[in-house]
Amino acid sequence: MTEASSQQPEVRSSRSFRTRIGCAFIWLLASGFWLLVLPSTGCGPTKREIKADHAVRAYMAGDFDVAAVKLRELAEEKNEDFVLNNCRLGSTTLAQYHLDEAEAAFLRAYEVINSVGVNDGGRSLGAVLVDEKIKVWKGEPFERAMTSYYLGLIYYIQQDYNNARASFENALFKLRANTSEKDEKNDYASQESNFVLATIMLGKCWTHLGRDDLARANFDRAKQLRPNLHEIVDLQRNKESNILLVVDFGYGPRRATEFDGSIVGFKPTPDEAGMIPQPLVMVDGARFPLGQLDIPTIDLLAMAQDRRWQSLDTLRAVKSAVGTGLILAGAYEGMRGAGGHGSGQRRDLTAAAILLGSGLLLKATSQADIRQWEMLPRTTFVIPLKLPSGKHDVTIDFPEVGGMRQEILGIDAPSSGETTCYIRMQRFRNEPIYWPPGGGDVHSPQVDMASSPMR
Amino acid sequence: MFLEPQMNADERRYKHKRNRTNAFTGIASASPYLRLSAFICGFILLGCANEIKTGKSTALSGIDLIEMTDDMAMKIAGDADVQTEMAKVGPLKIVVEPVENEMTAEVLPRGPAEAFTGRVRSLLSKHDRENYIWVMNRDAFYRMRNQELDFDLGLSPDAINPQYALTAKFSSLTDENAKRRSAYYLCVYQLTDLTKRRILWTDKYEVKKATVKGWLD
Repeated sequence: MTEASSQQPEVRSSRSFRTRIGCAFIWLLASGFWLLVLPSTGCGPTKREIKADHAVRAYMAGDFDVAAVKLRELAEEKNEDFVLNNCRLGSTTLAQYHLDEAEAAFLRAYEVINSVGVNDGGRSLGAVLVDEKIKVWKGEPFERAMTSYYLGLIYYIQQDYNNARASFENALFKLRANTSEKDEKNDYASQESNFVLATIMLGKCWTHLGRDDLARANFDRAKQLRPNLHEIVDLQRNKESNILLVVDFGYGPRRATEFDGSIVGFKPTPDEAGMIPQPLVMVDGARFPLGQLDIPTIDLLAMAQDRRWQSLDTLRAVKSAVGTGLILAGAYEGMRGAGGHGSGQRRDLTAAAILLGSGLLLKATSQADIRQWEMLPRTTFVIPLKLPSGKHDVTIDFPEVGGMRQEILGIDAPSSGETTCYIRMQRFRNEPIYWPPGGGDVHSPQVDMASSPMR
Repeated sequence: MFLEPQMNADERRYKHKRNRTNAFTGIASASPYLRLSAFICGFILLGCANEIKTGKSTALSGIDLIEMTDDMAMKIAGDADVQTEMAKVGPLKIVVEPVENEMTAEVLPRGPAEAFTGRVRSLLSKHDRENYIWVMNRDAFYRMRNQELDFDLGLSPDAINPQYALTAKFSSLTDENAKRRSAYYLCVYQLTDLTKRRILWTDKYEVKKATVKGWLD
C-alpha cells in the first residue's frame, strides 16, 4: 500500500507531463509554428537564384553573351520567376541586338503581366503565410510599364509601328492600373507624368503611321508634363529625323529592406545617386549640336520614390510590428515566470513560449520579396537626329563618367524613314557596334509563332 | 474512500490501449486547428510545386481565332456576290495579307497576325480548291526565301498579278484601371477587287472581354 501510494503520484506526473508535451505539440502545429521551417529552408539562395545572379553580374560587366546563355535556360522554366527571367533575358538580348529573341522574351513576360489569376490557389496563401517569393513575380508598376516599353521599342526598331504603338499604350495603362480611385478623378495626369518616355514614343509611332494629329496630341501632352523636353517632342524635328538614338544609362532602383527584413523601400534616391550626366554625340568625328536633346526623359529612381506601389508592404509591416510586440510580451512573461514558482511559474513560462513562438512566426513570415529586374536603366535618352543620307559613324560619350563611351560604325541614315539605334551604356563594354548589329537586317522581324500571346 | 478494484493483466493492457486510442482520437477531434493547419500546409505545398497557372487575359485567344476564321470562311464561301464573281471571272486570284493591328494597347505579333487571315485561306482551300488561286504575300515569300528552305516556293509574287486581296483590320476599345481590364474587339475582314478598287465582300466579328483583378494581380 505504501509502495503503491508512493508510486502513484509519479505515474500521474509522468502521464500529465506527456499530456502537456502532447498539448504543446498540438498548439505548436495548430498555431502554424511549423511555418517557421519553411522560410528558414528558403533563406539560402537556390541554384536558380545563384545562376540568375551570375547572369546579372555578367550583364553588369558588359558580357551579354554569357548572361544570355545563363538566362535562356532560366527563362524557359515556368516557375514564379518566369516573368522576371524573361525580362532579364529580353534586356540582355536587346542589348545584343538579337531582336527576335528579345521580342519573344518580352512577349512571354507581357502575356503573364497582362493576365490575371496566375497567382490563384496555393500561391496567394503561401505568399501571405510563408514567403512572398512564392507568388509569381509580375513586378512593380514601373517594371510592368518598362516591359511593355521595351517590347514597343523592339517593334519600333523593326519599324512595326502599329505593334509599337500598342505596346507604348499598354505601358501607360500599367501605370494607370496602379492608380487609386481618388487619383482616377484627377485624369491620371500625375501618374503618367513620370512615364513621359512612353508618351514620346507613342507620339513618334503616330508620326510614322501618318497621324500627325495624334502625334501632336501626344507630343503636346509630353511637353505639358515636362516643358524642358520641348525640343525632343518637336513634331517637325521628329518627322524629319532619320536616325533615332535610344540610350539607356545607369541602373534603376533597388529594393531595400529594414534591419528585420520587413519593410521594402527603393534605393538609392535621386539625391543619393546624384545628377544624371549629359551625353555628347559625335557624328563622323565632329560634335553634333544637341541643344536640349540631351535631357533625360525619365528617372526611374524618382519614379520609384513617387509612386505607391501595389505590394504586400502593409501586410508585412503589420505582421512585423505585431511580431515585435508579441516577442516583447513573451520576454516579459518569461522574466516574470523565471522569478515565480509553482503553477503560476508554469503558466507564465507556457504563455511566454506561446507569445515568443507566435512573435517569431510573424517576424519570420514578414520577410520582404526583394526580387527585381536589375537591368533596368536609371534613365533613357531619346535623341532624334537628322543626318545626310548615307553611312555615318556615331559616338555617344558621357565625359563626366570615365570610360562610358559607345561607337556605332557605319549606321545608315535613310533618305526617308528612320533608323533606330538602341544603346545600353556599359562602362566595361567599349568595343564598337558595327551596323547593322549582328550582321542582320534590324528591320526584318521574324517572329516565332510560339511566342504568340494567344493561347 | 473508494478503492478501484484490482485489475488483472489483460484488463490493464486493454485500459492502456483504450487510453492511447482516446489520446489520439482526442488530438484529432479536439483540434480543428490542427486539421486546418494540415490543410493549409498541403494547399501551400501544392501551390508551390505547381507551374505558374495560365491566367486569364483580355487578349484575343486561340478560341477566338477558330471561331472568327470559321465564321468568316463560311460567310465568304456562301456570299452571293463572291459566287457571282467566280461564275463571271473563274477562279479568284487572291493575295492574303496579315491583320492590320489598330487595337488599343493590344499587341498582335506577325505570327498571329498572319494566322488570323491564313486560316481563312486554309479553310476556303479545303472547302473549294477549284475556285481560289492563292498568291503568297510578298513579305512572307521573301521571308521564307531568306530562310533557304528546301522546297520550291514557286513563282515570285511579283510575277503573279493577284486580282483580289483578303485583308483584315482589328481594332479595340481597351481600358484598364486598378480593378479590371476590358477590351471590346471589332475585327473586320474584307475581300477587295484590286483592279476595280471595289470591296467584293466584307464582314465583322465582335467580341468583348473583361478580366477582374485579384489581390495579387
